[in-house]
Amino acid sequence: MKKIKKYAPAIVFVLFIFSMGIAFLALPKKAYSTSEKRYLASFPKLTSESFLSGQFGTEFEKYLSDHMTGRNFFVGLNAYANLFQGLNGVSGKYLCSDGYIINQPLNANDNRLDENTEIIKSFADSVDVPVTMTLVPSTGYIMSDKLPANHLTYKDDEYFAQMESALKDSKVNFVNLLEPFQQYAANGDQLYYKTDHHWTSLGAYRAYTLICESLGITPVSEDRYEIEVYSDFYGTTYSGSAYWFNEPDNIELWVNPQNTEENITVQITEGQETKESHSLFYKEHLSEDDKYPVYLDGNQPFVRITNTNAPEGKLIVIKDSFAHCLVPFLADNYSEIVMVDMRYYKGSVSELIKTEEADRVLIAYGIDNLATDTDLVWLK
Amino acid sequence: MVFSSLLFLFLYLPFVLLIYYVTPRKFRNLFLFVVNLIFYGWGEPVFVLLMMFSTVVDYVHGYFIDKYRSNKKLAKSLVISSAVINLSLLGFFKYAGFIADTLNILPFLNIPKLTIPLPIGISFYTFQTMSYSIDVYRGDAPVQKNIISFGTYVALFPQLIAGPIVRYKDVAYQLDHRRETLDQFTHGVKVFLVGLAKKVLIANQMGLLWDSIRNSGEANGILGSWVGIIAYSFQIYFDFSGYSDMACGLGNMLGFEFLKNFDYPYISKTITEFWRRWHISLGTWFREYVYIPLGGNRKGVPRQIVNLIIVWFLTGLWHGAAMNFILWGLYFGAILIIEKIFLGKILAKLPSWVSHVYSLFIIILGWVLFYFEDMGALFAYLGNMFSLSNGLIGSSALYYTLAYLPLLIAAAVASTPLMTNIYNKLKEKRLMWLVETVLCAVVLFVCTASLVNQSYNPFLYFRF
Repeated sequence: MKKIKKYAPAIVFVLFIFSMGIAFLALPKKAYSTSEKRYLASFPKLTSESFLSGQFGTEFEKYLSDHMTGRNFFVGLNAYANLFQGLNGVSGKYLCSDGYIINQPLNANDNRLDENTEIIKSFADSVDVPVTMTLVPSTGYIMSDKLPANHLTYKDDEYFAQMESALKDSKVNFVNLLEPFQQYAANGDQLYYKTDHHWTSLGAYRAYTLICESLGITPVSEDRYEIEVYSDFYGTTYSGSAYWFNEPDNIELWVNPQNTEENITVQITEGQETKESHSLFYKEHLSEDDKYPVYLDGNQPFVRITNTNAPEGKLIVIKDSFAHCLVPFLADNYSEIVMVDMRYYKGSVSELIKTEEADRVLIAYGIDNLATDTDLVWLK
Repeated sequence: MVFSSLLFLFLYLPFVLLIYYVTPRKFRNLFLFVVNLIFYGWGEPVFVLLMMFSTVVDYVHGYFIDKYRSNKKLAKSLVISSAVINLSLLGFFKYAGFIADTLNILPFLNIPKLTIPLPIGISFYTFQTMSYSIDVYRGDAPVQKNIISFGTYVALFPQLIAGPIVRYKDVAYQLDHRRETLDQFTHGVKVFLVGLAKKVLIANQMGLLWDSIRNSGEANGILGSWVGIIAYSFQIYFDFSGYSDMACGLGNMLGFEFLKNFDYPYISKTITEFWRRWHISLGTWFREYVYIPLGGNRKGVPRQIVNLIIVWFLTGLWHGAAMNFILWGLYFGAILIIEKIFLGKILAKLPSWVSHVYSLFIIILGWVLFYFEDMGALFAYLGNMFSLSNGLIGSSALYYTLAYLPLLIAAAVASTPLMTNIYNKLKEKRLMWLVETVLCAVVLFVCTASLVNQSYNPFLYFRF
């Protein structure tokens, strides 16, 4: 016994490194990681060339760490160990009160807001239809009371004021959500998810009514929707931060009972292929951890939504993923909506406006996305 | 391969330990020789040949130096030949590009840009092999007739890529006569884990802090700039001494004893003392093989000063092929000379906190020289450290400082012998074995977590 005590650290060490090694060698490997939403590295090819160049070695190390036993456990342990040392935010996300996990503010070095505003202004000048723009404030700014005491500053007030003044004398009609959102949040609306960086359906609905107001059209009133609630939504800030003990969100589908298979058509075009459905919601995604793609099937280059019951004309939406939750509301007003994602769509949008004979353009982004976007240069 | 990697910890090391201990003693060096090459060649297999070339060259030189010992002239020319070959290797692979760039300053020269990849560890193993030839020549160490044992020494994986620089005479006996014991193994495990914790839990985090602050430049304000460079000072110390600890610990696990390489350098009261505590094996090497052969302090003060300048020029250059490293070496050389001439005597009379502040100030300033290879960036950073025009501390620097404050304090405490002293006092206590074991387990788990996390990169469509 005395000897075991004396050598205990060595015993622990040897047991640990051997069992980790054996577990890695013996256990079956997963091809896909659901928490990271990516395919894990596969075993690298061993050729004399790849070996001599050192490429095999590098790729093997990737393979090893991708398939390390207890990977999710260790990633979580690391997150909480950092927290224990006072490091809240090293993963780029803050663990906040009430179960919120909130992205850090955007890095000043990545801020391209000025350039992107100019692009949008000259785009609006070049087209014949009215252009409306709305930006979703960052969760951190609106929900600042949930943030830990020590955090980097969210400068949404600066950014929105900057946009407001830059667009004042332009053809762009800017629907500023910043102050209304602060009001709604203060009244207790949950505008953002706790485990995801997106806004909730309620947040999107609030923005929808403000946009309608600015365009002089009538929004569908809140009590007309039948709200379906689904639980266990684990979003991107959850999986990115590895705070595994946080509770999941609920996700709501605001269903307008007047929309049926009869009047709604959604066509998603990717390359040469077009798939068609008759619902604004893609419920197959509700079985996944990240349920946000339930809205219009997530990121798609080109989506056309028609509603034969809607009163207004044709709208083109240039957008990021925040719009996926907003556009289903607008589909009650516009008989046809064409959504393009500048990340994948490299055609000319002004050409598109002509060929589609569109009546209006809406630009909808999250503020952080717009400020860091590098694909808007394609907006012509 | 590096120690603080999943590959080393969970595949390479278990494999090496298992086979090493089931191998009969007389084949253990051969086994080590083979696995050393795997360790070294993992990232850059081609350079194994270079290391083997260096090994053979010094083996042959040592052999003939010993054989023709009586022929003074021949022995001397052999040792010179060994040094020339080793330094040429180092010169070509490490310095050719730098020398060419420097010569290009001359208007009539236009040497094309040389891009020679730097073989890992070449600065360490060429110094080790040179020490062998010189030690044999001087009669300080016996000749090694077994090329496997010699090869094992040159490429011994614990100290191969980041030191310590083990002189041949310090391990000559151990190479063929070491006896591994469980006590030594257990000690090795503890030392290794201390090193791993230093590297993974402190140095890496301090590196993140330094990166976060450095990128904001002027916006940091004067205090923020100081916090940044202090974080870098911690990073470099815990990184380097962590590696040395891991090397010593691994050596112990295989039955070797290496000399210690760091001895709490940041508690020094003078720069002279700092250099006796920082990277001891390098200081020793330069003293034994450069400073003393040049005459050291035995030929009068002017000559001593010249010798010091030579040694510190070379020390700076050894750290890297760029102007700032030379500057860094000469900076310390100058301060050492000043301390020798008069400052040392004054410091000895002052209260000790003054000497501590003085030393830390000089050391930290030194790290600015050490970090920035680009002279413009170097002086810009120095400017931020001494200019009040950017305010006291920027908001992002303040955020990072507060977030890392507990770790900064922990790093400061770990830079002093305090924890070691407490440990030594308590280690005979009844339940200490349990505390120790639990600590080892915690370090293992948390370090593994950190290493696994480095590869955790969710593909989450952040932007869309």
